[in-house]
Amino acid sequence: MAASKAGKRSKPPAGPKQELAAKIFHGLNIISLIVMIGSGLQIYNANPVFGGRGAWTFPRTFLLGGWLGGGRNWHFAAMWLFALNLLVYGVYIFWTRRWEKRFVSQGDLQVLQKGQNPKRKNYAWHRLIYTGIVPVLILAIISGLAMYKPAQLPWLSGLFGNWQTLRVIHFITVPIVIIFVIGHFLLSQKVGGYRLIKSMFT
Amino acid sequence: MEEFKVPRHLLTRRRLLQLSGVSSMGLLLSSCGTGLLSESVGKLTEPLNLKVGELLLKPQTPVPEFPISAIEPNALLVNSFNGTPQIDTDKFRLIIDGEVNQPMQLSMADIQKLPFTSMVIRHVCVEGWAAIVQWGGVRLSDLIKLAQPKSQVRYAYFESADTYYESWDIASTLHPQTLLAYQKNGQSLSPENGAPLRLASPIKLGYKQSKWVTRVTLTSTLSSRKGYWIDEGYEWFGGI
Repeated sequence: MAASKAGKRSKPPAGPKQELAAKIFHGLNIISLIVMIGSGLQIYNANPVFGGRGAWTFPRTFLLGGWLGGGRNWHFAAMWLFALNLLVYGVYIFWTRRWEKRFVSQGDLQVLQKGQNPKRKNYAWHRLIYTGIVPVLILAIISGLAMYKPAQLPWLSGLFGNWQTLRVIHFITVPIVIIFVIGHFLLSQKVGGYRLIKSMFT
Repeated sequence: MEEFKVPRHLLTRRRLLQLSGVSSMGLLLSSCGTGLLSESVGKLTEPLNLKVGELLLKPQTPVPEFPISAIEPNALLVNSFNGTPQIDTDKFRLIIDGEVNQPMQLSMADIQKLPFTSMVIRHVCVEGWAAIVQWGGVRLSDLIKLAQPKSQVRYAYFESADTYYESWDIASTLHPQTLLAYQKNGQSLSPENGAPLRLASPIKLGYKQSKWVTRVTLTSTLSSRKGYWIDEGYEWFGGI
């Protein structure tokens, strides 16, 4: 693909470039999140977090696994992909010091407070939002682990107070991620348009 | 030419977006027919989950307990695969057999003579809910000691009066907080909660904690029948 394009055009357009590791992380993150959310909602339906038995459940369209056992199979399989992907990426961005360059910085925060340039402001918002989702993804793992092994990791479950609080915190990561995806998509359109999206997926 | 090129570019972009949409929709919609696939996904990572579960298990270390004031009497829901069986407590006998030197048959009176253990623990259901419950009864490890298991024993099978069956790893079976309980929240165990005798343990999910236990068989091998819900697709270890 890249070779044929380079052959057609003598000067390739200067567009945004993404590191391969970032693309792999991004792709695996999307896949694992879709599986985690679909199977997580399947588990939710077995006994709704809000209201318990007999309460409103999610329609089948959004579910993965067919029944509670199937949902759990998907959830506990995809958690490895989701968590290891995040771990490897975390090591990578700290190792390469990419964390300092590509994520939200003091400068971005100043722009958001006092900046006049709307383009620069969008850029700062974009970086703030995609940086902000990282702790939410980590929270999803920590709260999930606290619910998965409460007897073996009682100190971890204890951090969340009672069981219902723990369930709510784990669940709340789902709407946050969905709102994030919408915001992330719209801001990436504003910041770099289709070329930016393409740079992450090709 | 310029006008022709632009829509072509838009088409590919649209197609890309459509494809990603269709593929994720396919994943979402496939919930109706994923039974077999879900099973293979489960089989793919269950050995890994089992290893991690066993690694985290501290076999002889008690799980921290809760104060009596933390008990949630209404949170414990009743689940059973086939209703509540009728049991005559006077005629009830618990059988302990399998690879043991001293097979036993115990009446409830025999069992209640053994040392009593009470604990306030969190009962966690596979469905996601949990309840803090007080259970009282006899340590399963005490009963097993009486039966003198052979050294090769690695699993315990539990049979219930309602034909429910379940199997456990021996480390979890001998955990000091794995009880055969006849008391719940300070009162005699009710029939729907498993009277006269049920498994209670803070280290396993609810579906592992058989109610109406009539027989404990110690064995060195696990058959293809691992447990009623496990054979339906829940994971075998079920540790929490």
